[in-house]
This record gives sequence, C-alpha cells and structure tokens, in this order.
Amino acid sequence: MAKTLVVAEVQKGALRESTLELVTLARKLGGELASVVIGSGVGGVAEDLAKRGGGKVLVADDGSLANYNLDGWTRAIAKAIEAEKPELILISNTPIGWDVAGALAAKLDCGIASDVIRIEPDGGELVFVRRMFNAKFDARLRVSGAPRIATVQPGANEPYSGSESGQVSKLDGVGGDGRTKFVEIRVAPAGGHDLTKAEIIVSGGRGLQKPENFEAVLKPLVEALGAQMGASRPVVDAGWLPHEYQVGSSGQIVSPKLYVAVGISGAIQHLVGMKNSNFIIAINKDADAPIFEVADVGIVGDLFEVVPALVAAVKTAKG
Amino acid sequence: MKILVCLKQVPHKDARLELAPDGKWIADANIKFEINDYDNYALEEALRAKDKDAATEVVVVTVGPDRVQQSLRTALGMGADRAVQVWEDGLAGADSLAIAKTIAAVAKTEKCDLVLMGLMSDDTNYSLTGPMLAALLGVPHATGIVSAKLDGGQVEVERELEGGALEVVKLPLPCLLTAQTGMNEVRYASLKGIMQAKKKPLDKKSLADLGLSAGALAPKVKIEKIYTPPKGAGAEILSGSKDEVAQKFVGKVKELGLL
Repeated sequence: MAKTLVVAEVQKGALRESTLELVTLARKLGGELASVVIGSGVGGVAEDLAKRGGGKVLVADDGSLANYNLDGWTRAIAKAIEAEKPELILISNTPIGWDVAGALAAKLDCGIASDVIRIEPDGGELVFVRRMFNAKFDARLRVSGAPRIATVQPGANEPYSGSESGQVSKLDGVGGDGRTKFVEIRVAPAGGHDLTKAEIIVSGGRGLQKPENFEAVLKPLVEALGAQMGASRPVVDAGWLPHEYQVGSSGQIVSPKLYVAVGISGAIQHLVGMKNSNFIIAINKDADAPIFEVADVGIVGDLFEVVPALVAAVKTAKG
Repeated sequence: MKILVCLKQVPHKDARLELAPDGKWIADANIKFEINDYDNYALEEALRAKDKDAATEVVVVTVGPDRVQQSLRTALGMGADRAVQVWEDGLAGADSLAIAKTIAAVAKTEKCDLVLMGLMSDDTNYSLTGPMLAALLGVPHATGIVSAKLDGGQVEVERELEGGALEVVKLPLPCLLTAQTGMNEVRYASLKGIMQAKKKPLDKKSLADLGLSAGALAPKVKIEKIYTPPKGAGAEILSGSKDEVAQKFVGKVKELGLL
C-alpha cells in the first residue's frame, strides 16, 4: 500500500477512539500514513493524533466546520485527497462517516466498501471483509482502481496504541457555506426504564410475533427471574414497546450479570448494545442465528414451548 | 410537489437463506421477496405528504428483474401514483455506484423536488446508494432520518445518531433523504388500493432508454465470495427435552448466583 488517508473524527472536543482503529488498519497495511482532522479549533486534537497515530496530520480548521455538515466535510476530505493522493481512504462507519463517504465516492467516481471489519492484502490488491444480510453471512469484496474508500465498523479493530511523532500541517482552502444547515443536537429525554443498572435483563425480539406475547409469554419469565424487560429494534420500530426498552447501538448499551435474548436473531445493532453482558443466554429457533455467536449458552427451539418451561422451572427452584 | 421513492426488493425477513453454488450470492430462485423494510418508511413518508396535499405526485423506482414488479404493485397499492422498473441482464452484478447512476438517469427525467429511500438495504447493508445518488444529482442529502418537516422550499429533519441522540438539520429542496426504520407507522395496501394499483402505470425501462450502457456501468466493487461466518467458540447449546433444558437453564442461573 503506497499511502493511506485516515479521516479522523472529533467527538466532544477529543479524538474519537474509532479513528485510532483506522490507524491500526492503515499501519497493518504498511506504506505512508496521512490523516485529516476536520473541525473548528481542533489543532490540539491534531497534535494528539500526531503523537498517538503518527504520519502526516492535516488540519482542516474553520469556524464553519464546528458541527458536521455534508458540504464542509466533503470539501475538506477532497482537499486532503488532492494534497496527499492516497490509494486508500479510511473513514469510520459512524453517522458522519456513512453520510459523507458514499457522496465522496460518487464525486471521485471511485470504488467503496462500506462497514468493513477487516482489510486483507492479496497480491497487489486489497480484499475487504464485511458482514451482509444483517450478519448472517460474511462477504469478501474486491475494489478495483485507486483511490478507493473503505468505511470501517467502529469496534471491529483495536485502537492503535503506539507512541509516534507525526507532523501536523494546516490544510488551506477549507470551510465556506454549505447547503445543509446544522440546527442542533437533541438528546432524547431519559426514559423511566433505565436498563443500564439492571442485574438481569430478559429481552424479546420479533420472534415473539405480536405485542400481546410480551405480556403473555415474556413477562412471566421477566418476573420469575426478577429481571427488567428489554427489546430489539424491530419490536420498538413496530411500536410494540416504547423506545426506552430498546437495547442496541441506537438504544441502551447494557452489561447486566445475565442477559436472556428471546426470539432475537442478533443484528449487529443489537449485539453492540449487549455483547458486554457478563453472561448471555439466547433462545432462538434458528440454530444459525448470529445471537448464538455472542451467547454463552444457547437453547435452540420454539420459544413458545421453551419459555413457559423455563418459567415453571425457575418458580420451582425458588420454591 | 413531486417525490421520487427508490425501493429495493430484498429476500423476505422469514426466508431461509442458503448460499448459491458459486458462493457469490444467496440462492434466490425459490425464496419470497418483499420491499426492503427501510424503504417502506421512506414510501410512507412520501404518501403522508400526498395525504396532506393531493397535488403531490409519488413515483416509485427500482432496479431489478421482473420479480420486482410485484413490490412495485404493492407500492402502487399503498398509494404511489406511478412506478418505474429499470432492468436488463447486464445490470446483474452492478455495484452501488452503477445502481445510483441508473436511478440518477431516471431522477433527471422525472425532475423531483424530493428523493426518498431507506438508509440501507437488508441484503447487502451497504447504505451507499442514497448519498451517491444525491451527489450524482448535485443535491444535498441527510441520512438515517427519523422525522421530516416540509416547510415551503426546505425541509427540517432529525437524523438518528448513536445512543439515541438526534441531529437536527435543515436542507433546501430539491434534496435526498434516507429513512431510518421506525420513523413512522407504515400503512398496508387496502383492497381498494390493490384494485386501483392494477390500472396504474408501471414502465419498464432498459439502460438504452436512459442513455446508459452496461459497459459504462462496469462495477468497481465485486463480491468475491459470501460465506457463513466461521463459528467462534459459540454458545454451549443446551440439549434434551424442554423440561431438561429448563433444569439446565436454572442450573446456569444458580451458578451465576442469581437464583
């Protein structure tokens, strides 16, 4: 790999950890490393990246870049590409990354692999490995031509932890008006259903088939175990339970002593929210469901038969 | 106002997916298909704009073989006015950019005020076509929205960020928005709607009709292989009758000191 450009991300005034995960990938591939830090007053973040990631760090610093906006970011990254002529551009697959990366690829008319978890050199080429079909399958993609872009799933690689001495320089000609206008960030009011402190969580998914079954089938297990009830995204999207029940990247991130997943297949967005639980038991009729990959214990079967049996056994055990 | 809704037909949520013999895609000859879930929310949002202003025209477009006509009819049954299908065999294996270029050619002839589609598709999970299409059309976009308020020549949207936070953004029309799931409550096609849908126009176009060619859309991204992820240590599967399994479950919970 001749040169990789890492698009850094600034979060709450500091370098986002996922940026250092991109550095890990870039350093594994070898070759030169450049990065671009975009924001307003982000000189300190760039210095930080130079020490922790190394290489050449370009700073796109302008008042108009205080908040993410499509045009400002597209222009800044395009400038960095023009200056550095990288063969590979790495962007974290975050709400900023997925907003800007596809548009950038279309503007450059170049190939892009999104939400990648690994990059493997193969001869002179690169193979990009990612999930597909909501994590049911893995895929190997070949992307021809240069430059090419990869957006990388946050958390899929270890953050780079070396000590480096990179060089920071200013990227000129950035900023200016954009067509999309940032208004504000709204943080949803905290719901009354805080799962982050629960010792035991029993979560239900689409496998429960209809909202009434959360009351009729899942709740007896929740109550028998003295647990709190959680849910997967499709359940909340369908309006079966309020958003405050949702466990996942866009809901609550939980780590109880015991997490019981009932009728949840295990889409990435759910796994992100519960995989750090101390102990995971999954109940699903599909033995190939991705949830069994993160679970400690699995029960393959019809939840409408299994769950009542569990309730009875737990009640008997409690005496 | 004219709204273009881009749909993708994907395997049904409950379809049992197996790999194709060549290992490059799933075996899709004998499975059920449906409209990609994310796209349903985009379509619903367009139909709500039409509910408010009957003069609004909703055109649905998809790129895919003839089986997609069933999904287009469903969309027409839900209330869309017209449908456009683009297909020829040369589009098999097209990458996201080729699909975006194809839809861009349709969008240019339709001259829409708003383009709506899902954040991603449930098959490839790429989430690329939307931002690519916006860039090709030269219009701004916002991805993963959970609300959209149209107000004259602009739209204010909420984008879903991580951990439940929302980013509020204003965009001028024309623009492109991609919908996050759960943004609204998706309607079903009524019986009357389904009957009317049979008479609504569904145009099938070739690449030549759009001034394009398969050669010019040659993919830069190719799927070399898809496969079942190598099993890690995985879960210890509890076996036995349901009562035996329940006893083992209780044993595990006791070991954790939680019972």
